[in-house]
Amino acid sequence: MNVTDYGWLILLFPLVGSILIGLGHRVLPGRAAGIIGTTAIGLAFLAALGAFFQLQDEPHELRQITSVLYDYASTVGVDAEMSILVDPLSLLMCLVVTGVSTLIHLYSLSYMWSDKGYARFFSYLNFFVFSMLLLVLAGNFLLLIVGWAFVGAASYLLISYWYRRTTATTAGVKAFVINVVGDIGLVLGTYFIFKHTGTLDFLKTFEGAEEFATEGNGDLTAGLILLLVGAFAKSAQVPFHTWLPDAMEGPTPVSSLIHAATMVTAGVYLIARMHPLFEQAPAAADVAAITGAVTLLVAGTIGLVVTDLKRVIAYSTMSQIGYMIMAVGGGAYVAGLFHLMTHAFFKALLFMAAGSVIGAMAGQQDLDKMGGFRKAMPFTFGCFVVGGLALAGVPPFSGFFSKDEILLILGDRGGWYWALYVAGYVGAILTAIYTWRMIFRAFWGEPCPEAKELEAGHLHHAEVHTNPANGEVEDTDVGFPGSEHHIAERNAPMKVAMGGLAVLAVVGGVVQIPEVTHALDSFLEPSFEESAIAQASDNTGLMVFGLALGTVLAMVGIAIAYRLWVQTPEVPARIQARFSFLHRLFVNKWYFDELIDLVIVRPFAWFGRFGQQTFERLVVGAALIGGPTGLVRVGSATVRALQSGFLRAYAALLFAGVAATVFYFLVQS
Amino acid sequence: MAIGWYLAVSALIFSIGAGGVLVRRNPLVILLCLELMLNAANLALIAFSRMHGNGDGQIFAIIVMVVAACEVCIGLGVIVAMYRRQLPIDVDELRELQG
Amino acid sequence: MTLHLSIFLWLPAALGVLGLFLPGKAARLLAALGALGALGYAITAVVDYDRDQGGLQYVTDRTWISELGIHYKLGLDGLNLFLVLLTTVLFLAAVLWSMRKPIEREQHYWLHMGIGQSAVLGALMAQDLALFVAFFDLMLIPFFFLTAGWSTAENRIPAVMKLVIYTLVGSLLMLVAAIATAVLSKDAAGGELTFVLSDLAQTQLGEGTQNWIFLCFAAAFLVKMPAFPVHGWMPDGYRAMPLPVLAVFSGVLSKVAAYGFLRIVTPLFPDAAVNFQTLMLLIALASILYGSALAFTTTDTRLILGYSSLAQLGFILLGVFALNPQGAQGAILQSVNHGLVVAPAFFLVALASERAGGSEDIRDMGGLAFRAPVMATVFLIVALANLAMPGSANFVGEFFILLGVFKAKLVIACIAFAGVALASVYSLRLFIRVMHNRTGADTDSREMTVRDGLVLVPLILAIVALAFYPQLALQKGEKDVTGAVATAFERSDADEFAKQSASGEGAEDPTQAANAPRPQSGGSGQIVIDPNTGQPVDPNTGQPIDPSTGQPVSPAQEPTP
Repeated sequence: MNVTDYGWLILLFPLVGSILIGLGHRVLPGRAAGIIGTTAIGLAFLAALGAFFQLQDEPHELRQITSVLYDYASTVGVDAEMSILVDPLSLLMCLVVTGVSTLIHLYSLSYMWSDKGYARFFSYLNFFVFSMLLLVLAGNFLLLIVGWAFVGAASYLLISYWYRRTTATTAGVKAFVINVVGDIGLVLGTYFIFKHTGTLDFLKTFEGAEEFATEGNGDLTAGLILLLVGAFAKSAQVPFHTWLPDAMEGPTPVSSLIHAATMVTAGVYLIARMHPLFEQAPAAADVAAITGAVTLLVAGTIGLVVTDLKRVIAYSTMSQIGYMIMAVGGGAYVAGLFHLMTHAFFKALLFMAAGSVIGAMAGQQDLDKMGGFRKAMPFTFGCFVVGGLALAGVPPFSGFFSKDEILLILGDRGGWYWALYVAGYVGAILTAIYTWRMIFRAFWGEPCPEAKELEAGHLHHAEVHTNPANGEVEDTDVGFPGSEHHIAERNAPMKVAMGGLAVLAVVGGVVQIPEVTHALDSFLEPSFEESAIAQASDNTGLMVFGLALGTVLAMVGIAIAYRLWVQTPEVPARIQARFSFLHRLFVNKWYFDELIDLVIVRPFAWFGRFGQQTFERLVVGAALIGGPTGLVRVGSATVRALQSGFLRAYAALLFAGVAATVFYFLVQS
Repeated sequence: MAIGWYLAVSALIFSIGAGGVLVRRNPLVILLCLELMLNAANLALIAFSRMHGNGDGQIFAIIVMVVAACEVCIGLGVIVAMYRRQLPIDVDELRELQG
Repeated sequence: MTLHLSIFLWLPAALGVLGLFLPGKAARLLAALGALGALGYAITAVVDYDRDQGGLQYVTDRTWISELGIHYKLGLDGLNLFLVLLTTVLFLAAVLWSMRKPIEREQHYWLHMGIGQSAVLGALMAQDLALFVAFFDLMLIPFFFLTAGWSTAENRIPAVMKLVIYTLVGSLLMLVAAIATAVLSKDAAGGELTFVLSDLAQTQLGEGTQNWIFLCFAAAFLVKMPAFPVHGWMPDGYRAMPLPVLAVFSGVLSKVAAYGFLRIVTPLFPDAAVNFQTLMLLIALASILYGSALAFTTTDTRLILGYSSLAQLGFILLGVFALNPQGAQGAILQSVNHGLVVAPAFFLVALASERAGGSEDIRDMGGLAFRAPVMATVFLIVALANLAMPGSANFVGEFFILLGVFKAKLVIACIAFAGVALASVYSLRLFIRVMHNRTGADTDSREMTVRDGLVLVPLILAIVALAFYPQLALQKGEKDVTGAVATAFERSDADEFAKQSASGEGAEDPTQAANAPRPQSGGSGQIVIDPNTGQPVDPNTGQPIDPSTGQPVSPAQEPTP
């Protein structure tokens, strides 16, 4: 089998899994749905490995391979084919996606077991993995957009998975609509590019990139900025980020897989994939880098004040993706993808651990109500600590190396990229503070009642389940939160999945240790070899400085968090009161939701109501309909009046008419 | 004899018939008057036929008579039906067909 | 293979008439047979159609009224092939769906359905202007009776009167325009009076004449589609019609109007199409935005779908008046897609309303997905296809339409994209309010029956199949669809080109050049005809040029008249 055969297999397994589970949702016994789903993704991972080894056998310059299955919509000058592009970049993404997905499926096997929509969950989840793989393997713009939208749809389905919760369905619609805005950006951007290159195929487009840049630079920049709209919407970058925190309404494995490890990083992949174009239009690349920097700071500040466990991690995700976007926007492609990979490990791990805590809290997610879980859940605690250290960037955990490589390359570029460098380190200390704030509040301090119950050997179950978002009594007909909850301490599959990720989060950095290993660099080289910007930095002084600074900042951040939330727990409240303006701004998420509501939603709803109540009645109903139909009505009323029913009147009219005709002809002749 | 005389008689009969249709309310009489009008037309047809010296007009007149006979059959049938259903024998009363 | 289109055309109506003399059950069977036979015929035609040859195939041509030059001419080509298939599919679905419940005066119902189908097929296949007008008006009559006779709505009579009168006013204008076209063509070109489309296309009318004739045709088609602001009959009409009838009405009849633009207007009146391009694009844009806004606000499920159709037809109109091959291909594909989506949507509304105590208001629905996963899945696929999610054939249609508009008028394409975002809002709103959220007060969640599935699932499979392989519909039509807008494209393109060259940017699009060689360019590609003066000019400088030498002509050398 050659490389692209493996590529098609990677796509096939999750699709078949999704369809099998969907069709068999009634007849599949017990955990069969979960096992099928997990196996399908596992097979896809094996296929990705197969492709990986096969690709290593190919000569260096032939490692970008396109395969066409059939003509999808090739007509009137458009060449949209069903084609995939297998190269180191897409393969790296495939490996990360299928690898992390396998573990998360394994975790879900137990975590979702008491849910009444067990089969539905796995069908959706497999569909998501299929879509994500389609996105990364797509060989042309049209297929990329298809994958792009499919992951959006899968994300929508999984966010509003507990569809009796109005908060969940609202969050789902919000995510979907913002993502559609992104899709539109993508389609329009594609049009701008297609206008000049006349092809949708990636490789052919990149071949013409230089020529394109000379003849229509304005169009190229416009097109790329529109592509960035798509990337920002999917990757939750300012100002298209508001859907991500709300997306935490979905089940925790979903947050872990889609809203942390894979889908939200699609924007990073897109920019990396399009780098030949971005290098021809530096203005667009700078927009990406700056937006990434802004997002990482905004999200970091919000992460400091949020009290919902999952939302803290969600804002941290936003912030970390900010790093990646900043990296690929600033030309540090390999570093960005490196961070994408390590982030997938430790963030998925953090979400899984959070799921375990939420299980112990019987669905409750508020940090204010948690505390002292350290003794009750040692395994979960361990995972949290590993994830937290990796996220904060403490050596030698994986996040340390990837984050520092990004900042090193940006710093090395000099010029105004120093601003990004500084923003990155400011973000690093924020990251350390909010991550450890979360950990200290959940695991230190006085054990909460649920923790005590667990220490006594009994898992807490709420009598009446309420929606944590609005206090509504849950409709448990559709499943979660059902009578049972699951925690990692008591479930082998959950434990295995979390353990695997914990190991990866610890050692994931070894592939790219400065001055020691360059595995990722050399693997990805065929994808980026023609790049003028991407090259490893050889500024050793800056590198050593960066590594040291990163270590210090992470330690300081953790220390601040320890001081504030463990040693002197009354201080945060005082700081809150002192800086109440800032606190309000952060708690209200910089008022982005309100702004969008005011600028877009309300005027539009008003327009709709105006149309419905006024325009439709007065203009369309009265003037336009009234005109023609009124004329016909008046005419028919006149004619009707003549139909008196008097036979003799008709006869008289007849005679009069005949007489008049005769008379006319007499006069004429 | 000049054709004018025939036509004059024909016109007279036609006018009598037409006047009858207009002023009488009894359907039977209206039917009679219609017959008068038809026959006036027949008279004119035959007169013209004679004038031109071919038989077309006469054939036409015979067809008219056949049609008239049919018409009378139906008309009388309608009147008998009206009588049986005890409807008034008066065309002014029968005006259900108004618009 | 020879296919007799007359048999195909009259089969449903004939079986409907036959059914009048039979008991209800037999009439039902005959109606189903008629629809099934027509579908079989259509599938055969699609499979057998020779795309390499293109053009009209299976032509039936008889003189109908020789004095007026009216022919009974039917034919299939890339333009109507898939619309004909769509028609037969939707009518079969509607006939089967109607059988779910006992129907009063059954024989008459089936007769009208049969006539309706024959009329639509006739309008689609007619290759004679007079024949087209006749069938176009005939379409309305069975739907008038179906609504007036079998509707359960209170105000059905006023609603259907409004519909009929309003569309007839448009049709009258079209009749006038059709006669004028034939008569004026005869005056212009001499020869016999003829209504045959291919003959009419030989002569081009003067621009002024084209303009007013264009407006008459446009009025008829826009009312029928409907488009903003002449959609006034739509809300009442949609509320009054029985749902299976509405499914075909919305799915097929509106497409005949869109098809009419491509069959008649753009080939016969290309200059007028170019002149009114911006106007029509603006109407389309207004339809999209207005329809979306109202679909987002209203709570009646039928009206949500109605206004959504208004918006979707706006897209189709947009594609037609992009006046380039991409737009036209997209418009035809989108017509098929929209028909395939809107019919099951109305069937699903019927199912949902049965489960919500008979109410058709989304405020009374909710949570219906609970015990009905199959129904929810079907509804979801329909909703996602309706919002043109990438991966559905609807997206491919919109992609081509907007690409066409993007090339013709960039700003309009950008604004039209707002309609894409809005579509996602109202489609998901409909889905969620019916299927998700808390259960309504009077709802009863139960799965759809196997019988319902027999109608719905094949339609869904058709949507999915087209999503996987839209090429099927695109490639068979390519030649004729491109041909339908070729003349208008050349003229609008010449305008654009002249404008571009005047401002000094002569960037020529390779795809456009490949698809439509410009006859004006005189073979060398260096000379274009100035549309204002009719003189050959150099495209780069705008200077008059001598076509024989290719050298600029100085004013002194110009021959004096």
